[in-house]
Amino acid sequence: MEYKISDKAKKFTLGLAIVGIVLLVIGFFQQKDFVYAELIDDESVKIFYNGHAGEEEQAKLEESIKEKMSDYELDFVKNHDHSQHENEHANDHSSTHTNHDAESDHLTVDENHDESSDDHVGHHGPTFVWEVHVKSSNHDKNHSEEHNVSDHSSNEQSTHNVDLDQHSSNNGHHGDAHHNTKSGSEVLTEMINNREISFFDSGLRRFWSNLLINGFFFFGIALGALFYLALHYATESGWGVVLLRIFEGIMSAMPIGMAVLLLVFIVGTFEGHHIYPWMDSNIVDPDSHSFDPIIYGKTAYLNKPFFWIRVLAYFATFFLFLRWFKKKSRQEDAEGGTATHFKMYRRAALFLVFFAVFSSTMSWDFIMSIDTHWYSTLFGWYVFSGIWLSGMIMVMMITLYLRSQGHLPFVKESHIHDVGKWMFALSFLWSYLWFSQFMLIWYANIPEEVKYFVDRIQDYKLLFFGTFVVNFVFPMVFLMSADTKRSAGYLIVIGLIIFIGHWFDVYTMVIPGTLFDQWEFGLLEIGMFMLFLGTFVYTVLRAISKAPLIQKNHPYLEESKHHEF
Amino acid sequence: MSEKIIYAMYDDDDHLLDGAKDLVSKGVHVSDVYSPMPIHGIDPIIGVQPTRLGIAAFLYGITGTMLAAIGLRFMMIVDWPMNIGGKPNFSLLDNLPAFVPIFFEFTVLCAAHGMAITYLIRNKTLPGMPPRNPDPRTTDDKFVMEIRSSENSKFTYEELTKLVKKTAFIEIEEKHIK
Repeated sequence: MEYKISDKAKKFTLGLAIVGIVLLVIGFFQQKDFVYAELIDDESVKIFYNGHAGEEEQAKLEESIKEKMSDYELDFVKNHDHSQHENEHANDHSSTHTNHDAESDHLTVDENHDESSDDHVGHHGPTFVWEVHVKSSNHDKNHSEEHNVSDHSSNEQSTHNVDLDQHSSNNGHHGDAHHNTKSGSEVLTEMINNREISFFDSGLRRFWSNLLINGFFFFGIALGALFYLALHYATESGWGVVLLRIFEGIMSAMPIGMAVLLLVFIVGTFEGHHIYPWMDSNIVDPDSHSFDPIIYGKTAYLNKPFFWIRVLAYFATFFLFLRWFKKKSRQEDAEGGTATHFKMYRRAALFLVFFAVFSSTMSWDFIMSIDTHWYSTLFGWYVFSGIWLSGMIMVMMITLYLRSQGHLPFVKESHIHDVGKWMFALSFLWSYLWFSQFMLIWYANIPEEVKYFVDRIQDYKLLFFGTFVVNFVFPMVFLMSADTKRSAGYLIVIGLIIFIGHWFDVYTMVIPGTLFDQWEFGLLEIGMFMLFLGTFVYTVLRAISKAPLIQKNHPYLEESKHHEF
Repeated sequence: MSEKIIYAMYDDDDHLLDGAKDLVSKGVHVSDVYSPMPIHGIDPIIGVQPTRLGIAAFLYGITGTMLAAIGLRFMMIVDWPMNIGGKPNFSLLDNLPAFVPIFFEFTVLCAAHGMAITYLIRNKTLPGMPPRNPDPRTTDDKFVMEIRSSENSKFTYEELTKLVKKTAFIEIEEKHIK
């Protein structure tokens, strides 16, 4: 009953991962920088923006530019692209600039033509083009004088020091600006193209979000398998004993997801990315201008030390139980008897207690806290049902594969049928929870709750509802009959569809909170999914090959072998 | 037409299952089995047609969904449009999420009741109907297999009895219909 990975499977899974890496790298460098600048002359810079941005975001961008360029006098000439129908109220700024506007409009069009070969400009053209006139001003001199005056009035003693400081710093500044012989426009261009000034925090945000999505999705699959194994022991089920080694194999791949999630969290903690707004120290700092009182109110739970305590508690618990279950089942193989079985029975029940709490809080911490303002009590169950279902689909796929290779002589159609029933039933559980969450929030229509769905319906409508329809209707229609739940062909096709459907489910949980309306779907996403899938399946198959495929001393093995209905 | 019926009683469903397998493999036709609970896998052995209750349930369910849709549309949209919490009250589709729970409940109600009633009628076990099981103990913990001589014309009655007696029965009862 030993299983060795065939060369074909090895080549296929690792090949998938390698193709995934290649696509990932290509996709990574194909990402658009959402805000980019172009130098026109010493006094003016043109700023382009490719995504969709509302008035508010644009004002924010303008503010951040003004803040960074406080040494200069800035003059914004705004110019909205005409493909954007909604923002026609754009020219309210400058009635005096009408001439100028027309001129730069003309220029813009030319620029577009010139650059159409470049990947800067998407097929829709930029959402807005600003021409910024930058003048190095004596603004800062005035500034320091003002300071001096106020200082004088307050305290003569300390003024000297302050004065000196002010002067020296001002001198330093002047030196910087002049000695480098960089004009203001050059500085601005550089800042924008180096992503010092941009919306949110530029391209890497998409990369980190995807890492989080895939890390969580594949961590969830392994966790789903671990949960089901514990459930199987705690309920003393008999039917699935011949499949337990497959569950073990799948849960053994949990460290992949854990490692990726840890990476995302560590980088987030040191503010290398801003997927989690509450991790941003400015947002919870009452003195900062980006202070958010709502998030500040949640710091009792959402703070970095407590977050890390929880993350480590989850991962340590899951990992220790996983190791323990694997060790004991091998010990049972060697020793026989029922002592190990009853130990596992008790320990599995204990695990379920931990899991009941951790599965909820985990999904709040990892996923729900992305939309920090929003909350939903049901979210934990909703995520959990998705986790469980993806785990079951993975079990089904691996079982069908191994069975088709003739490695699982004891797995009969009845077992396949039962796993198929789980897929069917869990799809309903997931749809039920999805709809319960949606319907209650839709009906109550409380702004703070409804925001989550407004974000998704406005910018992700097809994806959001499509995911629900696919993940609900496909299993319902195609897995309802008993025959389809026994046919490998149906199960593989439907299984793959809802597997990808549930990946998109996690996608729509994460991306609207991290990329807002500026999402793209491309090689980056596909490549990373392939990379994870290939690595995950390879790890699973390798883990399965490390132990016999049958737990020969499991007390319910005979029952499972004769499982029939 | 005279007929002889053998009722063989078992105290374990596995014994009955094995006995039925044995008899069927020898060409005996088992006409029915009475049991306090469903015996997994007995249907294909004794040649009972797969149940069509599932199809019936689906039809009842669809009926329920449609009744709910028609009813809600008439009551909440057409006859007396109701404004509940400012939700759209002029179109069934716009207000669909609010109606889904009712659709669901009505579907379940109709499917469950239709199924239960169909099942009872089909089994002739509606409340008040005379019992058809040969022995009251089959509603408790015993299992009975029914073999009719008219359906087993290639065996004589004695041969049938001999074959049945080879299985792990606990009692055999005979019945003659003149």
